[in-house]
Order: sequence, then C-alpha cells, then structure tokens
Amino acid sequence: MNVQRMLVSATIAAAGAAVVLMAVPALAHHSSAPFYDATKRVEAQGPVTKFLFKNPHSFLYFEEATAQGKVEWQVELGAAAGLTRTGWTPETLKPGTLIKVNGQPSRAEGSHGMCCARITRADGSPIVAGGRVTEEEQPPK
Amino acid sequence: MRRTVGAVTAFALACGLAALHAQAPAAPPARPPQAARQPPPDLSPKIPDLTGVWDGGARARPVNSETIPWGKANFPELTERGLAHQKVFDEAIAPKYDCVPATSPAIQYDPYSMEVTQWPDRVLFRYEKDDQLRTVWLDGRKPTVYDWGIQGFSVGHYDGDALIVDTDHFVFDVTGFDDYNGIPSSQMKKVHERYWREGTELKMTITVEDEMFLKKPTGYTTRWLPQRPGYKLSAWDCDPETSRAPVKMMTPKYKN
Repeated sequence: MNVQRMLVSATIAAAGAAVVLMAVPALAHHSSAPFYDATKRVEAQGPVTKFLFKNPHSFLYFEEATAQGKVEWQVELGAAAGLTRTGWTPETLKPGTLIKVNGQPSRAEGSHGMCCARITRADGSPIVAGGRVTEEEQPPK
Repeated sequence: MRRTVGAVTAFALACGLAALHAQAPAAPPARPPQAARQPPPDLSPKIPDLTGVWDGGARARPVNSETIPWGKANFPELTERGLAHQKVFDEAIAPKYDCVPATSPAIQYDPYSMEVTQWPDRVLFRYEKDDQLRTVWLDGRKPTVYDWGIQGFSVGHYDGDALIVDTDHFVFDVTGFDDYNGIPSSQMKKVHERYWREGTELKMTITVEDEMFLKKPTGYTTRWLPQRPGYKLSAWDCDPETSRAPVKMMTPKYKN
C-alpha cells in the first residue's frame, strides 16, 4: 500500500468514526427503566479500574476524582456476545485507560451507576470504531 | 440286494440334483450400458431446509424491549391472576439475574444467533443466548412424567414447506412470558411455532396460550437472516456476578 492510499484510507476511517454513534450495544436482556433514569444524563471521567467482559452484561468500572474524594462508577454495557459484534474485546479497556462517560444515572440512592452510555477516551476519540444500531436504523418488524 | 440299493441311491441323487438345478437362480442378465442407467426415483418427502446458523440480531429485526415484540396489536390480555402478578412483580426477583435462561416465547426473540440442525427423528434449536438447546422430536414420542422443564417438551412435524413445533410441559416461570413486562407463565403454557424459508430468510410465527395468565392466545411473527459463513455460536457462559450487578442500581419496590 503506498503512502497516498494509506492517507485516503485513514481519512475515510476517520470520517466514518466521526459519524458513528459511540454508544455501546443495547442491554437487550432487561429493561433499563427500573435501574436508570432515562430523563437525566450525567458525565464523569477518570481511569478504568476494571472491565468485566461477560454475559449477560459487561461492566466497566472507573474512578472519578471529586472534591469529596474518589468515586467508583459502575457502567453497565451490553452482553459480551453483542459487544463482540462491534469490535470490543476483553482487552479493549485496560485498567488505567483514561475515559469520559456520559450516560443515564442509576436510581438507587447513593449509587454511582450508569447505563446506555457514550464512552470515549479522555480526548474525545472513540474507544473502537463501531457502535450500536440505533432504533431509527433498525429494520421493520 | 446290493445292486438294488445302489440303483435307488443313484435315482435319489439324480432327483435331488434335478431339484437343486430347478431352484438355482437364473444367470444374471447382461448389465445395460452405463449411459442408459437412471438414478432411482427419490420417494422421500421433501422437507424445508432450515439448517444453519441464523442471526436474530439488530440487522434482522428491532431489538426486544417493553414494546417489542409485544406492542399494541398483540400485547397479551391478562387474566385477573396475571394482572395481580404483574402488579406485585418486583424486577429484582427476575430469575435472569441469577442466570436462569429465557424460555419461549421470549428466547426466540432475543437478539442473538441460533443454530438449527435437522435430523431424521428430531430438529435441534441451539440458542447462543443462555446456551440453550431445544430438541423437537419428530418420531411421535410422548413426554414422560420426567419431561417437565424450563424449555418444555417439544414435538414437531413437517407440513409442506414448514416445520410445525408444539411445546408444552413447561415449569412455572416468574417471567416466563418475556423479559420486560413482568408476566409469568405456568405449567399450562402451550407454544405453537411454524418455521419456513422465504428466500434466504428464516421466518417464524409463534403463538402462546396459557389459561392461567392469558385470556386468549397471542403471538408474533419474526425473521432471522443467515449468519456470516463460518460463524460459530459463542459460549454464553452466564456470569453470576455481572448477571446480578444491575440490581443494586435500582430502588427497591418493597422497602423494609
């Protein structure tokens, strides 16, 4: 592959990544409503502490530094079986990776949970080039 | 005297040989030329080819939710018992948070892949979701007293270009109707499925009845698309820790 072709490929890839919705696949196992408040959004950032790439749900944990001290967030993602389809692997988010997360907050008093989240690296770049199929993109029944 | 015995023995031997000769098969006819031979006619009944790994994910159909696949048109009318159960149901007690698998009519609509294998006496449905295997018996067998289970007992037959599956012998399931609406299913649940091919798609209409909780049968129709060549179902291997992890994020329905 020559340099010009590499540049074209990189440009196309970057353009594609820019328009892809960087949310992770839907839960598809249970309703999010009892657990998370769909009318609100919260945002936090910090280093990944743990990434559990599992079925029926994967979970991402990261630590946010606040004025009151450190807070560990639990972010619910889709099943590993679904995440795999969009390019995620157990190694996608290693401990220490700085991330920024925007999602629906959990309902339980005093809890720090999120779902239905958009996750990027701290500089706003995508975690992986892929994302979930949004409702508008879904085929008819 | 010795001559008489010898003559009788010779006569008997001659008769025996003649009889044996009469029973001997005729010499095989000359084999016809190779080009003139025809394959034997296929008298076996034609059955639809449903075999393969099928994708039930988001490219095939909308992902399941509170209103999919049970929307305004087909949402079940619940009996008083069903309504009462739905009213007191607390999401936290759903067995799925302890890795209990989904059952019909929900598992067919989960957004994962499914593998169908057709054998002469059975059809096997293997679901990626929850590592479930359903066996549909085609040999006319009946369930025994031991055949109650979360996936029930399935019998089937081919009807023209379709596979018909009837399942009963389900055990009670707190969320045996779907994953989103807190509707249970009882031992009275009966599920009827019809599978057929439309081009490259696999289609299914499912009907569920359960006199305990549903006033009348209801159902939906859906489809699967062929998975990419070489796709192998992944092991679900439900993890108990992450299965229950969401529950601590909800406000309890019943507080101490």
